[in-house]
Amino acid sequence: MRRSLLVATAAAAVLTAGAVQADEIRIGVLYPIAGTGAVYGEPAMHGHNMAVDELNAAGGILGKKIVSFARDTKLKPAAASAAAKELITKDGVNVLVGGLSSAVGLAISEVARQEGVVYVATIPKTIKLTTEKRHDHVFRTASHTDFEGDAMGQIVAKLGLKKICDIQLDYAYGHDLAAGIEKGLKRHAPGAEKVLDLRVKLGATDYNAFISQIMGAGCDGVTSGLWGSHFVNFAQQGSPFGLFNQIKYISGGEIASHEIAGKMKGDYPDNVWSNTYELWYHHHDPSHVAFQEALAERSGTKETAMWPVLAYIGVKFIAAAAEKAGSMDADALAAALKGMSIDTPVGPRTIDPETHQADTGQFWGPMVKKEGVDYRVMDPVTFIPAVIEE
Amino acid sequence: MDSLIQFAQQDLGNPGLAALLSNPSFAFIQLMNSFSQAMNLFIIAAGLSLIFGVLRVINFAHGAFYMFGAYIVYSVAQEWTGNFWLGVAAAGLGLAVMAVVIERGLFQYIYDKEHLMQLLLTFAVVLILSDVAKIIWGTDQYSVSYPASMKGAVDLGVTFYPTYRLFLIVVGPAIAIGLWLFTERTRFGRLTRAATQDREMLSALGVNVPIIYTGVFILGSVLAGIGGGLAAPFNSPTPGMDATIIVDCFVIVIVGGLGSIWGSFIGAIIYGLVFNYGSVIVPNWQDVFPFLILLAVLLVRPWGLFGKPEGGNA
Repeated sequence: MRRSLLVATAAAAVLTAGAVQADEIRIGVLYPIAGTGAVYGEPAMHGHNMAVDELNAAGGILGKKIVSFARDTKLKPAAASAAAKELITKDGVNVLVGGLSSAVGLAISEVARQEGVVYVATIPKTIKLTTEKRHDHVFRTASHTDFEGDAMGQIVAKLGLKKICDIQLDYAYGHDLAAGIEKGLKRHAPGAEKVLDLRVKLGATDYNAFISQIMGAGCDGVTSGLWGSHFVNFAQQGSPFGLFNQIKYISGGEIASHEIAGKMKGDYPDNVWSNTYELWYHHHDPSHVAFQEALAERSGTKETAMWPVLAYIGVKFIAAAAEKAGSMDADALAAALKGMSIDTPVGPRTIDPETHQADTGQFWGPMVKKEGVDYRVMDPVTFIPAVIEE
Repeated sequence: MDSLIQFAQQDLGNPGLAALLSNPSFAFIQLMNSFSQAMNLFIIAAGLSLIFGVLRVINFAHGAFYMFGAYIVYSVAQEWTGNFWLGVAAAGLGLAVMAVVIERGLFQYIYDKEHLMQLLLTFAVVLILSDVAKIIWGTDQYSVSYPASMKGAVDLGVTFYPTYRLFLIVVGPAIAIGLWLFTERTRFGRLTRAATQDREMLSALGVNVPIIYTGVFILGSVLAGIGGGLAAPFNSPTPGMDATIIVDCFVIVIVGGLGSIWGSFIGAIIYGLVFNYGSVIVPNWQDVFPFLILLAVLLVRPWGLFGKPEGGNA
């Protein structure tokens, strides 16, 4: 008697689960939610949840409620890969979104390829994701290292720099950005010569050995992709040497974002030119004002981070593609994402049908002091579109 | 010399080595960099070594103590008072309080347990503290300003060198000598040395051993806090900084010999030299340096340069 009751309950549970699943759209979300990476993952989740809530308030996707299944990537490819597999097999998600760090992005993409599930990469920038490692089901809404390197080449040309030292983190992103810069310099600043190549390990905290090499090399420009706390430490250690009085520091890795400038305040060095996906104080697109208001409420501050908009755009692309495809079937979704255009808070975006890469340009400019605030702001802000002119 | 430079540049294809040979002030700066990095690491590693030497506990949470020191300096110096030295003092004090709570509340129960138990407990403390830090300070990367008097650089004749880094080069040996005087010349120091030899005998002689243990644990933890506080201006307080430092500290302490102050001192200098010159000469091997030193010492002298072989400490 008891056994048959158990069986019946189990069967009912399975049935209900099946019924629920058919009624909802399951999105697998992969960001570093706890630990070191949470500084990026937490704000990214704000953007993700904001997009999901907006969509659900408007009736969901294909009339079904969206449910997010978030898992921690711990900033590690192995953990991300395991999490992605679990999302697909255990949680039965229809699509994967997220990824932070190039190595993590490649790992998730590999799972998406094996399992035949669509993966929208919102943050990883290694060029390989949409070139040699591209497959039918991976799409990228982030920028990539060739766009970034090309923009840096333009800035080197604009500033008339002649001798360049390059310092990069020793992993996928740093290597690919170095290659992107090399190409950018060739295109825009053929007169500039690279005199020094430095590689620093990911997570390094002591940069003095590298700073003295840069200062000894006699370069007038430094190109770099040291992001987050790497840059904070590099700047704090370089400033007393007078490094930033001697060179122009042109950096990818979004160190112009407000989460860096707002935290470093008066310690943010001179002569830095960098990029960001978004600035809370710069309204490039009219819809950005409303986006920032909603985000400010969710983040508890009006000085919001740059990461939310990336996660937000990823979800919006998935929703638009699903509506167009009329289903969440992986192949239909992938077909719809090819050539898909949407409006975002930072302007319209289109995914290239061939490369699966969105034309995600970035804001670039010098970080300057401003009357009345204790942090640096980008001024003037220039939007460099994601176009590479050969 | 010129032929040597040419050899490095052309035959070895090593611009780093050539730069070191041809530019004496660059070579000198790397020497200074080695010392300043080493001295900061020494302060932290000395605490770890001291605690192990007396308590026989390998405290994995030492890195978390260092992280708390850095965060406390951020809050006190950057957010509240604007005075860096006040921040460092607060870091020391804060760690002293934490040490009392953790030693009396947890560690005192594991001194007689096997190493695995100790490892599990200290590791649990690591996890708890990293979450506590996240609750208090969030996950942002902070920046701490240099003290106003030490923002610039000093002219050393050959080259300019950052004042704050010079300060670290001075403060490291000062702490080493202070610790040495303390253990060799004070009654408390003599008792701690006795406690490392035979804690039961000491207890039988009427000495309050638990108080000695607590005292040593406080001292070691305060060193981690001050080390973290002093590192904060060039090492952005951020989650995960505990994991990085604990590896460096273990390398230094094992190379120098567990429990030896001067061992940690020399271990730190070796680490600094290998890291700073190594990064220039063989940049692709940066990740491996600490472990190469460790490997070399473990093969030749497994008890460390200044340590004593296990069981032979009579």
